[in-house]
Amino acid sequence: MSSKFQALDSKNILLEVKNVSVSYGKKIAIKNASFSLKEKEILGFIGADGAGKSSTLHAIAGVVSFDGEIIYKNYVYYSPKEAEKIKNEISLMPQGLGLVLYDFLTIKEHFDFFRDLRGLKKAMEYETKLLKMAGLYEFQDRLAVNLSGGMRQKLSLILSLLPRPKLLILDEPTTGVDPISRAELWDIVNEMRNNGMSAIISTAYMSEASKMDRILLFDEGEIIAKGTSEELIADIKDYTYEGEMESKECFSFNKRTYCLNSLSLKKTTPTLEGVFFVNALKKSKKPIIFEIPKKNLQMPEIIVKANCLTKKFGKFIADNCINLEFKKGEILGLLGANGAGKTTLIKMLLGLYPIDKGELYLLNKRIKSYEDRIELKSKIGYVSQKFSLYKDLTIKENLDYFAKMHGLSVNETNKKIKDYSEMLGFSEYLNAFPKEVPLGINQRFSVAAALMHEPVVLFLDEPTSGVDTVARSAFWRLLRKLKENLGISILITTHYMSEAEYCDRVVVLKRGIKIVDDEVEKLHKKYPGLDFEEIFLEIYKEKNEN
Amino acid sequence: MRINVIKAYFKKEVIDLIRNKMIILTYLIPLMILILFGFGIKMEVTHVRTIIIDNDHSKLSLEIINKFSHTKYFDVKVENLTYKEALHKIQTNKADMIIIIPPSFSKNLYKGAQIGVFIDGSFPLRAVTLQGYVEKVLINGFNIKLPIKIENRNFFNESMRDYNAIVPGLFGLIFLVVPASLAAIMIVKEKEVGTIFNFYSAPITKIEFIISKLIPPFLFHSVNIFILLILALYLFDVPFRGNFFIFWIASEIYILISVGIGLLVSIITSTQIAALVLSVVITIIPGFLYSGILMPISSMGKESLIEAHIFPVMYYNHLVYDSFLVGEGFKSGGNILYFFILCAYAVILITLGTLFLKKAIK
Repeated sequence: MSSKFQALDSKNILLEVKNVSVSYGKKIAIKNASFSLKEKEILGFIGADGAGKSSTLHAIAGVVSFDGEIIYKNYVYYSPKEAEKIKNEISLMPQGLGLVLYDFLTIKEHFDFFRDLRGLKKAMEYETKLLKMAGLYEFQDRLAVNLSGGMRQKLSLILSLLPRPKLLILDEPTTGVDPISRAELWDIVNEMRNNGMSAIISTAYMSEASKMDRILLFDEGEIIAKGTSEELIADIKDYTYEGEMESKECFSFNKRTYCLNSLSLKKTTPTLEGVFFVNALKKSKKPIIFEIPKKNLQMPEIIVKANCLTKKFGKFIADNCINLEFKKGEILGLLGANGAGKTTLIKMLLGLYPIDKGELYLLNKRIKSYEDRIELKSKIGYVSQKFSLYKDLTIKENLDYFAKMHGLSVNETNKKIKDYSEMLGFSEYLNAFPKEVPLGINQRFSVAAALMHEPVVLFLDEPTSGVDTVARSAFWRLLRKLKENLGISILITTHYMSEAEYCDRVVVLKRGIKIVDDEVEKLHKKYPGLDFEEIFLEIYKEKNEN
Repeated sequence: MRINVIKAYFKKEVIDLIRNKMIILTYLIPLMILILFGFGIKMEVTHVRTIIIDNDHSKLSLEIINKFSHTKYFDVKVENLTYKEALHKIQTNKADMIIIIPPSFSKNLYKGAQIGVFIDGSFPLRAVTLQGYVEKVLINGFNIKLPIKIENRNFFNESMRDYNAIVPGLFGLIFLVVPASLAAIMIVKEKEVGTIFNFYSAPITKIEFIISKLIPPFLFHSVNIFILLILALYLFDVPFRGNFFIFWIASEIYILISVGIGLLVSIITSTQIAALVLSVVITIIPGFLYSGILMPISSMGKESLIEAHIFPVMYYNHLVYDSFLVGEGFKSGGNILYFFILCAYAVILITLGTLFLKKAIK
């Protein structure tokens, strides 16, 4: 079958997508996507959660119904049923860490399963090569449930390469994967590309764009730009200025300001993220201005002090003797790969996990007993990963609940809800359910919920994951304001290295050990000319060699 | 259809079931249902606290008292109470039944004598059973000549053993509930975890997928047919008078029906817990109600009779009771009809499953 396809192919185009739309009920996931893919090309899909990347990938892989037509090597298909014929040549790796793996099968048994499923002959040499590329050769008898996130992802990738696909579709393969595994994943993809494979890869990391041949930018169910990374950046050159400012007409993020009107500022080279800002401006969207009244909190210089905090789970040491000092009015970034111990550390600081060893001081008070913990909790605001909101309550009811839980009176509660919703710009959504509003709104009202009891310190665990660039920039401006005007100290974890630039200080964890604790400016001086992602990789590599 | 696909899934399913310990539940739950219900449900009534008030003091009345005293069914006390006092005993739950023999009972025997029997009716089923016992003892129990005699013989379950009545009925309950929930969970698990993409994105047909996913629960529960049969025969001493092959094949088809129900449940649910709850709820109620354990189908009211005919359990249990207690087999036209009705159920359910299953994200 494949030889017949190849004979028909002449123009070097492997895949053509024409006016493809996917909708779930009333919700349109992607509208009129059109693009093509050449042989041996790597096409990148970049955009936030819900921008339509996955739906487009699913349509091509023939796992979701769509409108429009897709042509793969002269074979036209309009539905998942018609796509059956080409599934021999296409491999899809869906989003999520190792979702296609069976927890109780070993790596070897996975190979058996996928080989039989696809009706393949055992190809020892090829399989060994794949296992070695992924660094899994020695772990063939290990159950999938015992593999780390990075290993699971690498296993999923080589399993999808088992049928030797002509087209590989990877849906956010690097999300939540540590930097080293990320680099290895890319090496495997590049190796296969050299053997004649094409790939479509979606990612939430702008920094991976340079590894793609061409990029499609997705925003709110539309493809807003196509081209190489350089072309896209060149397109918005005229709108990019140096420095940051607060304005109703312009967006500022990561030391750059994007504005359609000409400004008197110096122009600079944009980053790819800028495309989203310029697109928002062109759609006449305006940045939100947060107006937060100034307040003076009486607080000691050191808010949290941790001496050699340790947490073990059985034999596994999640956090190994971590010293941490968290100063008044500071934004502290907590960085590290998956499983480095970030969430465990936050949970210890919060009093959610008992401390195995070490001392913890909050506002100069030693935290030891259960009562201390209760008091500790009333001083801290916490926004967890995925936001702990009740999805069957409206935003107002959620806020009401959080306020009452902290013992606020009805009048106080109503005043706070009114104030915060205005300050954080979500008052129009108060009667909506969390599910109905964009992720960025959920993120801001989660912060409002955490602020209800006027904590002196705010802990945020990956609050920006999957949130679109524009909302992320607004969120960071909000955090700055909270810090400057309310004097709140903020501890935040994130996977976006460019966000580390917004922190005053960063702490990097690796396998439960603190490897860096320094001011962001000093790190920039130490590694001149590198952006923070590169600095991070550099640090991780150095510590790896030691 | 390709053998390699079925082989791939079968191997994976067996390994998965053993390593995640679900295999224990697959064999433990049917066993538990059989043993708990088998020993737990008792239709027979014994040790009824009986007070006899003998106002006659004749030879006949003494004989009556003797007859009641010498069975395991009644714990008899002869007391000298008034009617009111006796009634109070029932009201305060100190007695279950009172028998009053009036004065001159034996004298008036042929003129129309009466015996007063008062039964605690708070459990109607028990009261009716008791009534039957009392009538039997009074009419047939002693050696005097009466104008009438009740001649009754219980067919098929001559010794009136509870096990014979209940244990075969449990087959229809067990093989409806357990395979359905296992099949539903095994399919929905792939949806919940995300491994369903292996099916979506590979060139496998829907029929191949359904067969691959239904064979493991089907085979696992086929083993249960033999386990439960052996327990019924040797632990509960239920006789087996019918044709083994009819029983076996009917059971296999019935399990096929059950996994077919599981398949349909898995199509409309997306989490394992929902699949489990739904499959148990839609199978356990009809499985119990229309199993023939509690009440024979033929004596049901109009509405419940219609309901009973909708669910497959009635047809299967008819064949099972026949195999254990009667042994007519396919000599009876009704049994042949019921057998083919079961086949039709299996075909319809699995065809519906194949039609409704979508090889794409909803």
